[in-house]
Amino acid sequence: MPAPHCRWPLVCRERCLPDQLNLKHLTQPIEPRLRSNLTLACMRSTLLALTLLTTSLSTSFADDAVQFNRDIRPILSEKCWFCHGPDAEHREADLRLDLKPEAKQHGIFSAPVEKSEFQQRITSTDPDTQMPPPESGKSLTDDEIKLLKRWQKQGATYEGHWAFSPPKSVAPKNDPNDAWSRNPIDRFVLQRLRKENLSPATEADKYTLLRRIALDLTGLPPTDAQIEAFETDKSMNAYERVVDRLLDSNQYGEHMARFWLDAARYADTNGYQYDLEREQWVWRDWVIHALNTNMPFDQFTIEQLAGDLIPDATDQQKLATGFHRNHPITIEGGVIDEEYRTEYVVDRVATTATVWMGLTMTCSRCHDHKYDPISQKDFYRFFAFFNNVSERGLNGFNPKAKVPSPYLTHQLEEANKAISAAEQQLKQAAKRSGLTMNQLQQPPSIENTWSIVVPDTMISKGNAEFNIKEDKSVLLTGPNIPNDSYELVINSDEKTISAIRIEALRDASTVNGGAGRGSNGNFVLSEVEVEAASPDRPTEFKKVDIARADADYSQANYSVNLAIDGKIDRTGWAVDGNTKIEDRTAVFSFTEPVGFANGTILRVRMKHEYGGSHQIARFRTALNLSKTPPTPIALSKIVAKPIAQRSEIENRELRDWWLLSHGSPEVRHAATQIKQLERQRTQLSSGYPATMVMNELPTPRKTHVLIRGEYDKFGEEVHSETPQTLPPMPATFPRNRLGLAKWLVMPEHPLTARVTVNRFWQQFFGTGIVKTAADFGSQGDWPSHPELLDWLAINFVESGWDVKALLKQIVMSSTYRQSGVTTTEALQQDPENRLLSRGPRLRLDAEVIRDSALVASGLLSERVGGPSVFPYHPTGLWQEINNRPGYSRTYKQDSGEKLYRRSMYTFWKRTVPPPSMAAFDAPEREYCQISRSRTNTPLQAFVMLHDPQFVEAARHLAGRILESNDDDKQKIRYGFQCCHTRPPTDQETAVLLAELNARRKQYTSSTEAATLLLGVGESKLDSSTPPSELAAWTSVARVMMNLSEFVTKP
Amino acid sequence: MTPHLQSKQLLESQLITNRRHFFARGGMGAAALASLLNPNMAAAGPSLAANNGPGYGPGQPGPTHFPPKAKRVIYLCQSGAPSQIDTFDYKPSLEKLNGQNLPDSIRNGQRLTGMTSRQSSFPVAKSFMPFRQHGKSGQWISDLLPWHSKIADDICIIRSMYTEAINHDPAITFFQTGHQQPGRPSLGAWLSYGLGSESNDLPAFVVMLDKNTDPQAQPLYARLWGSALLPSNHQGVKLRSAGDPVLYLNDPTGADKNDRRRFLDSITKMNQLRRDAVGDPEIDTRISAYEMAYRMQTSVPDLTNVSDESQETLDLYGPDAKVPGTHAANCLLARRLAERGVRFIQIYHRGWDHHGGLPGRHPKLAKEVDQGSAALVMDLKRRGMLDDTLVIWGGEFGRTVYRQGGNENSYGRDHHPRCFSLWMAGGGVRGGMSYGETDEWGYNIIDRDRYGVHVHDLNATILHLMGLDHQKLSYRYQGLDYRLTGVEPHQPVKDILL
Repeated sequence: MPAPHCRWPLVCRERCLPDQLNLKHLTQPIEPRLRSNLTLACMRSTLLALTLLTTSLSTSFADDAVQFNRDIRPILSEKCWFCHGPDAEHREADLRLDLKPEAKQHGIFSAPVEKSEFQQRITSTDPDTQMPPPESGKSLTDDEIKLLKRWQKQGATYEGHWAFSPPKSVAPKNDPNDAWSRNPIDRFVLQRLRKENLSPATEADKYTLLRRIALDLTGLPPTDAQIEAFETDKSMNAYERVVDRLLDSNQYGEHMARFWLDAARYADTNGYQYDLEREQWVWRDWVIHALNTNMPFDQFTIEQLAGDLIPDATDQQKLATGFHRNHPITIEGGVIDEEYRTEYVVDRVATTATVWMGLTMTCSRCHDHKYDPISQKDFYRFFAFFNNVSERGLNGFNPKAKVPSPYLTHQLEEANKAISAAEQQLKQAAKRSGLTMNQLQQPPSIENTWSIVVPDTMISKGNAEFNIKEDKSVLLTGPNIPNDSYELVINSDEKTISAIRIEALRDASTVNGGAGRGSNGNFVLSEVEVEAASPDRPTEFKKVDIARADADYSQANYSVNLAIDGKIDRTGWAVDGNTKIEDRTAVFSFTEPVGFANGTILRVRMKHEYGGSHQIARFRTALNLSKTPPTPIALSKIVAKPIAQRSEIENRELRDWWLLSHGSPEVRHAATQIKQLERQRTQLSSGYPATMVMNELPTPRKTHVLIRGEYDKFGEEVHSETPQTLPPMPATFPRNRLGLAKWLVMPEHPLTARVTVNRFWQQFFGTGIVKTAADFGSQGDWPSHPELLDWLAINFVESGWDVKALLKQIVMSSTYRQSGVTTTEALQQDPENRLLSRGPRLRLDAEVIRDSALVASGLLSERVGGPSVFPYHPTGLWQEINNRPGYSRTYKQDSGEKLYRRSMYTFWKRTVPPPSMAAFDAPEREYCQISRSRTNTPLQAFVMLHDPQFVEAARHLAGRILESNDDDKQKIRYGFQCCHTRPPTDQETAVLLAELNARRKQYTSSTEAATLLLGVGESKLDSSTPPSELAAWTSVARVMMNLSEFVTKP
Repeated sequence: MTPHLQSKQLLESQLITNRRHFFARGGMGAAALASLLNPNMAAAGPSLAANNGPGYGPGQPGPTHFPPKAKRVIYLCQSGAPSQIDTFDYKPSLEKLNGQNLPDSIRNGQRLTGMTSRQSSFPVAKSFMPFRQHGKSGQWISDLLPWHSKIADDICIIRSMYTEAINHDPAITFFQTGHQQPGRPSLGAWLSYGLGSESNDLPAFVVMLDKNTDPQAQPLYARLWGSALLPSNHQGVKLRSAGDPVLYLNDPTGADKNDRRRFLDSITKMNQLRRDAVGDPEIDTRISAYEMAYRMQTSVPDLTNVSDESQETLDLYGPDAKVPGTHAANCLLARRLAERGVRFIQIYHRGWDHHGGLPGRHPKLAKEVDQGSAALVMDLKRRGMLDDTLVIWGGEFGRTVYRQGGNENSYGRDHHPRCFSLWMAGGGVRGGMSYGETDEWGYNIIDRDRYGVHVHDLNATILHLMGLDHQKLSYRYQGLDYRLTGVEPHQPVKDILL
């Protein structure tokens, strides 16, 4: 029976198991011709090509002494350690080649070098002795063999893996001929370029720099105003001033947060199966805020990994721990709870190791790591730190904490200010209208003048019978359909009616002697509608607006207000009629009194939509005959109390009623304003969801080594500890997540600072100084500039982990400011720009592309933070894929400003990620990812050409263009600059002019086509411009937005 | 001042960069290899395949590890998992065991799902449909799938499939990506990466979802056709039956073909000016991408417009053939895609997950897929395409032989990973045979070590038929090498190959 299968989902590798090496009998026989012609030829040419092409980074070492870490470790790791490495269980011939004493002890490096077993093995062509063995699928190149020989001749010295030793502080050499360097970064870079006989590229022009810096620091291209300001700023530090402005902007935090969201696998749904929504955006706000306020990276780390464990943790610190609850959570009935809980903890280990240490730690989930000194035991000791959350696997949404967004504090302050201002206005208005404070405290002077009426006609939708009783009430008998609706017509002589009252009265004929016809005696009055007509024109009914409803009693969640909410649904006024058998009263006051010269006809509809015959059994109607609305029922209790005994809230209610019912129009307006503002404040301070956060069980869960990584196969018990190969955690640190977080940001930790600065470097240059930004282990790439990496890391820590300072240092360098244009030689020598012989030119990320269109068109909303939004989206896409009724819902597109929020706020459904962003390599966010691929596909062209977001943006850009100038050429210049941050060349202007004129012709002859084009998008059309002209310019704008340059950081 | 480069020189350098890129990653994508080995390709100018790796044409079919038997795959994924007991795993022994409790010795500690773990007994239920032998081969197929009787001699029924997962999400993710948890490229993405595209104007990997009719159907996830760590141009492109057939394909502005051409020419002219000024070869790539988008605006409507199909063909697929989004219509499109050189065509049919009322609900699902699936095989065959087109039909796991809830007439079947059936046809697979056998209870595979077909074995077989060695098709990402079939010793199922 085959061994159980490696369960580790993400990062196990092909050669993970030694069994593979014994697979000879299993491998497919290779057809001989192909073997010779294809396989071998391929391999040779491949290797040849590889050797030729990698010269840029390696041949220059030819003159130097062989360095173990740079030159030898990659070869041994790749070709030898699988069988002769850290994994003790699968070590062949008891030979360990990753550590010096073990290797030497074995005697394979005996003198003379040529005769040593090591040389004999690696140069052998005999399949029985040659290393690596042919069945491993690995082989050494001639160059590699030569290198190994040189290394052995130089004494076969070993070094510890570079990334596990603390960064070394080396000052860059001062070069007297260096007029290029602005800061130490440049000196390191230049040193290397000189060594390769390369020189840096010239400095990029002003426009390029402005565009590059704006896109890099805020993810947005500069606006036309910013371009103009920069153009005219001739001061020496103009560039630096822009850098500072950008670093200070709110958009900086949003842009930086976006990269963090990929790493934090942030999404708005739970992932897995039904992929329901979750609300984790308050945590996202925390990230934006932390970045904008330049929280030091060590604190940023500690709060997110262990904010809850900080002594006297603030709510915001607890909120920060949402970081490790962002992983997918399953709701699939039938899964085993513990299996998924284990996956969540493993995800935390994987994410922590990747983001902070650049380690592929999860390779050790099932067995000791094959390449790095991380044992399986190390893995589960690390696992133990994250294993103590009081969570479940199935529906594991708790623990949660209701903490406001950091941006809310500011908004609440604003709301309070607005309310104070409105109060002042009210006071002034009240004074002018002669209302005094004293008066506002008095009981209302006007009597309620109610007149009971029996409706003249009554119709029941379900043909129930109406029986008029002696007390002028009406009792329903007979048919009792599930949802009945009564229509009453009252012919009144009155000329001023300000309200209608409906009493629901008990009756012995009902189930429980109460007022409802429902099977339990209750009723739900879903909606009350009133219309009025004059007896002179008895068929012309007009709707009567109901301003307020009040009742002497409303059941919880069935407020009488629901009977006037305009929704004819299951909600409405109910009275607990099944348990509380009482007569009840509701009053519906009109916005303005109704009435006609010759009396009034009222048509009243009482609609019951709850189902189960929840309709009123016996009711009595009355009309209020006065110009002012009746005193609310609730107020009568307040009015009955002596002034001194009324509470503040009661005083306030009374006052408000006075103001709204008896105040002058000005007073009424001010009072309404206050009510509205107060409602907004209440919404603000309660309208945010609870966020999933971390907590710690009082008694830690036991953690075991899981045999082969399986959740239910327990090995030895382990306790939380950091990997043995890294510096130990000081004894003073608590042995929990807090200790772990502090350990990660200890200045002597060899990985955290390096990995972090490398990730930022990758953001700017496309590739990190270490190319494998997520793998700093043995299999990772050798840094292109090891000394620079260390210098940056040390500097970063010494600055107090000051992120903005680090980024400023990078973008102020001459290295960063180089032009992207280069020479053939430099390109051949440095094809991937690893040597930094030119400026970075990269295709922009999905979010930046969409945001660029919003900036160019002037549509972008600059609001920061808040819940995710639902911009334009192809109809039916969610339902097509994730389609179960009751679980999945259709995509409910937003309208207005929410269509134009930054893309980082777009709702992210893991199983159906936002399609126009997915086309540009945005990930599903199902797991931690710290770099994206960068592809070019026709699907991207479709998005840019046809996504309504872009077509609409082009129309708005056209509008701006038309306003900008009178001259076509100047207009083109303006629009082009909005898109590409530079003026067009004459040739470019000519092409665009030709396009413009062709389209003018087309749209003048076909207004239909123009209307179609201009109809895209929800925003309103500017009607002052002729459609043909606007359409022609929209086409020009579309051309501009579809250029390669639009999606490129120059 | 640095002299500006001629764009051609730059282009060559860039191609070198890209080629180098592949090998630095250690990937063994065969088409990537081809672009390296074939100097003509670079000379032919900027192709998307050369710049991005294969995935979009005009890629050149790359050399494979060994001669391929199949040039393309059509995978009819039956999501939710049909019951093997009632379709392809003929078990006369159950006639006599029907209603008996499954012995513990047979279940042997097998994990149960949360749905039946509290069930007190496990009475087995024989197939609710009779089985009959069909074709020259005499294959046993249940009456549930009458159209399948016509392809009995073309299909190879594997009755000894098994998997590791017992719940839908991990199981289907495992089938399609080789891992239960998200994060790995899908089968189609691997083939796109490894073999490139044969089409100039269609993507290498196309996905179609049959319109779902079952309110309790399992959902699907973008990851099932995603590219994960592979460059994202290898992800499956969804061909939709409603709205734009390919997302954003249609011009919302009502432009006609001439407008589009003129408009595109303006864009191209502008892009060329910029390329000449800055010498960025990526601009050429983007020009090509727009050109292919332009071609797709014609090729996709041509593809989906079946009015050029003969009545005979339409009749073969049945009345659904002209109803967009049905299985039959999608199968017909699959054939048209196959004709146009698309490498991997994936169709999902949802709704097989019958935990209750299975004898009543299975026939509805069977009716939805039976004719279309069978017609596809027949249609390919009569056109001579079956020889190099591999068709696969099956779910993510099987269903239990014992009843879940209900009584003898109305019951469901729970998830069963230990054995299930799947069929393959064409593309180098031997037709008219059944492979592997289950025990008399229909619960375990007999001699699983020898005859069991693990999900990885199946995927290894598919790659093998396409000319790829599943152990060599790997991709290096962040220092680690990934492949589709995991780390355990799995192998293609040789016994079923021609």
